[in-house]
Amino acid sequence: MFSPLLALTASLASVGRVFATIAVAIVSGWLLAYLSTRSRVFENIFIPAIEILESVPVITFFPVALIFFIENLGGYAGVEAAALFLVFTATAWNIWLGIYQAFKTVPGNMVEAMDNYMLSFSQRMARLYIPYSIPRISSELIPSFTNGLFYITVSEVFSIGSTDYRVFGIGSLIYDLSSSGHYIEALYSLALLAMIVSLIVIGLRRFSEYAIEKYGLETESRIHYARRGVIRGAGLSRLSRAVTPIARISRYVARGGIHLPSIENRARLSAIWKISKYVMVIATFSILIYIAVIKIEGIEPSLWEYLFSRIDRDLASIAIDYARIAIISLAALTMAIFLGYYVATKPGMERIFIPASQVIAAIPAPAYFPLLYGITHRYIEILLGPLSSEFYVLLLGFISTYYYIFYTYWLGVKNMPAQFWDIMDNLSLGFWDRLRMVLLPSTFPYIVAGMTATINGAWGGLAIGEHWPNIYDGRSLEVSQGLMRELALASDRGDLVLLTWLSLLFSISVAIYAILITRRLMDLAGKRYIAEEAVFAA
Amino acid sequence: MNLYTLDDELVCIIGPSGVGKSTLLRILGGFIRPEKGFVRLLGEPVTRPTPRIAMIHQSIVTFPWLTALENVKLGLRYRRLSRDEEDRVARRMLELVGLQDYADFYPKQMSGGMRQRIAIARALAAEPLVLLMDEPFSHLDEWTAGELRREIYNILFGKETTLRSVVMVSHNLVEVVELADRVYVLNGLPATIVGEVRIDLERPRDVMSDKFREYVGILYKMIMPIRSRVSRG
Repeated sequence: MFSPLLALTASLASVGRVFATIAVAIVSGWLLAYLSTRSRVFENIFIPAIEILESVPVITFFPVALIFFIENLGGYAGVEAAALFLVFTATAWNIWLGIYQAFKTVPGNMVEAMDNYMLSFSQRMARLYIPYSIPRISSELIPSFTNGLFYITVSEVFSIGSTDYRVFGIGSLIYDLSSSGHYIEALYSLALLAMIVSLIVIGLRRFSEYAIEKYGLETESRIHYARRGVIRGAGLSRLSRAVTPIARISRYVARGGIHLPSIENRARLSAIWKISKYVMVIATFSILIYIAVIKIEGIEPSLWEYLFSRIDRDLASIAIDYARIAIISLAALTMAIFLGYYVATKPGMERIFIPASQVIAAIPAPAYFPLLYGITHRYIEILLGPLSSEFYVLLLGFISTYYYIFYTYWLGVKNMPAQFWDIMDNLSLGFWDRLRMVLLPSTFPYIVAGMTATINGAWGGLAIGEHWPNIYDGRSLEVSQGLMRELALASDRGDLVLLTWLSLLFSISVAIYAILITRRLMDLAGKRYIAEEAVFAA
Repeated sequence: MNLYTLDDELVCIIGPSGVGKSTLLRILGGFIRPEKGFVRLLGEPVTRPTPRIAMIHQSIVTFPWLTALENVKLGLRYRRLSRDEEDRVARRMLELVGLQDYADFYPKQMSGGMRQRIAIARALAAEPLVLLMDEPFSHLDEWTAGELRREIYNILFGKETTLRSVVMVSHNLVEVVELADRVYVLNGLPATIVGEVRIDLERPRDVMSDKFREYVGILYKMIMPIRSRVSRG
């Protein structure tokens, strides 16, 4: 029997958790960003740390959270804390980076006015820094909410060994209803969640528009209009300014770091910056190795032998997962490039499609995926046979993450200088020439940032999909090999040593990927593909 | 209003700020559809942007990820030339604007004046019949702008180009008198053509000559806001 009150309470509990972590991220972001404006040393530690954390898939933190909170706090509080921590890691970095950038771009004359009036810390925060950061924060809210809700529904139910851990929320409610065969009730609960999510997304969009109108500097919007004046009309202009954190990162990349104050100091600061990053990478690894050693030091030498004996298989599992990630990301990128361009060039389509896609993306895939699976699995199995599990895992990865690259690419296209459109039209460039010579290079920083988020999100999809017992009607979704599957199985068995070991291997692979691929692409984007440099205006 | 431009003619459009000069230019290029009226090129209606009518923007636009040569080649894409032919034509266009030694440079390695030359070479590579220029020198320093102005007429109407006519919008009356064969003056609200002046001076023009100054004075009077002219009686 469907209980609307129960579903409503569960939805509000999940949504409440997301907003609670967002609130913590905002308040801590204000303090950390203020410290960054005051201390160069702190800034040189803080920003590289966010950069690293931002490029690490959220799911990497999950085992750490499980081990730490369940073991140390235990009980309901530990589970609640683990869930909140996971959501925090999904929302905090972008909000912190957004606030930091807002604080760093407070006009100097406003700061001087504060100095002039000798305002205290709290007065400065209340009258200048916090209001100034509101438009930035408001633009982070929808993606942070989307991201957070995805992970909250995952983290409300998990098991280690024979113990099931759960917190009350819509994720656990839908899971319980689905796994007990109450599919209609699960569908109703999902529909209620979709309604609540829609209302929240609409509300956040309104808030974003209001915040930009009230707190945005007129000069800032004018600069945007003049330099990237592709967007005409008030509604779209607002939309363009309400950029996602990913797009913000892409601008941050494109500007080569807004924190560098002068050309003379750039070389010196760049050296400090690089050293700080390496220090942070080493520190992160040290922490991971320390945690691993704490967990592993007490174990028998034979277990060490066991761990090393399986390293070939574990590395192969990592490679297979990277192949899955590549397929998902390329599919998402391909869709984004064509659909994003189409939507960006059709204003009528854009007005409907963008808000609709924001709402759809905000409905967490893990909540509705079992029902999707239930409806389609017969046909897919006939069509794909033994590959159907692989298909579903890739599908889950795709629907969990396509939105990021789509949205950032669309935003990149919208932010292209207006003159690019004139020139492309004027020179009668065909679609492929437009794509190859103008659109892809111009949106490259956005694509790099969007792909980073997409890849991170895809890891989340794999973590859920590679081993999903009782997904629908007693059936399980399971792939034959993959690191996320191994992690889930280790978690199921309560094998914390193996869990830590696999997490360590995964973290190392992610760090290598971030350093070798993501950082290089971001550097390339920052050096060459800066659309703003296309327009020379004295 | 009616405007026309003839073979080998550089026509300027001037008028006070906000009168709609740039909008008019965009209408001429097919970038904006007029609510009323039409644009014709050699008798054919112009309903959309075409390489036959090339536009040079007020803010200088080059693609930072493409070299100077690749930027110019963009103008040749629609012609579907062979790779060698494309390269040859693009290099010839760069030579025309004096950048033959900078083919492999990226725009950010070049000055504003050089970037504007790239934009001109790119536009000319498309073999346009008409070139529209929206205050093409306004973002250059006076020295660079003066140098480019002295060269531009010969570049545009040299044997190497297919151009038959140029329409330029400008605020700078000295620039206008230096370059134009004929000047349309827009003024009023709604804007109308309040004057048409033929600049009857030999080229190269001496900006210090009395006749030159006289033309500047005539144009200056014509673009003064109508209300202030009335109040001065």
